Amino acid sequence: MLLYRSSGWYNTLSQEELQKLINQNKAWFERLTAQGKAKPGHALERTGVTVSGKNGRFVMDGPFAESKEAIGGYLILDVETIEEAIAIAQSSPGLAYGGSIELRPVAEECPLDVRARELAREEQLVNV
Amino acid sequence: MNTQNQNGYMLLFRGNDWTKSLSPEEKQKVTDQWMAWFRQLMDQGKAIAGNPLEPEGKIVSGKNRVVSDGPFAESKEAIGGYFLLDVASFDDALVIARECPGLPYGVQVEVRPVAAECPLASELKHEAQFANA
Repeated sequence: MLLYRSSGWYNTLSQEELQKLINQNKAWFERLTAQGKAKPGHALERTGVTVSGKNGRFVMDGPFAESKEAIGGYLILDVETIEEAIAIAQSSPGLAYGGSIELRPVAEECPLDVRARELAREEQLVNV
Repeated sequence: MNTQNQNGYMLLFRGNDWTKSLSPEEKQKVTDQWMAWFRQLMDQGKAIAGNPLEPEGKIVSGKNRVVSDGPFAESKEAIGGYFLLDVASFDDALVIARECPGLPYGVQVEVRPVAAECPLASELKHEAQFANA
């Protein structure tokens, strides 16, 4: 999974630059889709809230639109190796203007499950 | 903020460090609750996708496309997984976010409307409108 982190850097581009980048992005995405390497991705609106606390009692506005850390969108890649995923992330046209892409392997199963199993196994070993 | 959005909503689960203090039984309990919650939302047609993410990955950044390790495995901010929701209003999405079984343990759920188009394209339209005004 590619997570796009950006700070609204595109607000500083001229109309021509922006149009060029949009075309590049579109071509990039269409090529990956045609190769069967990308599944549909989505951009996210630069608004939202964060829910936290027991029963979700805290609701805060955020992430802030201009934050460098905010996730701007995502793309799920259907590739075999992390090297291939890195190469695809590196070829993303928007990187030339700033921002960064976080790349995360999609888990086969929930990491909580895996950890719970490991702990159970450790306990078994201790009891043997 | 739009209260109606036909493109749906994304829940981003933040926090990779909250399971440290849990016993194996508690961990198993939260996992079961979380899976049951997701299956129910899928059955109801309210969730259309969702995945946990491996704790560690890479960050690619900047003009030089530098690759670094990250995010750090144990962090309050790191994204642990996501759900894609097919619900009509922000309030519906918020109700679901509040049901997250990880919340009592410190998980934060970010609720974000999915955009109809790339923000670059809407920015361009906005500029064009401004120029023609």
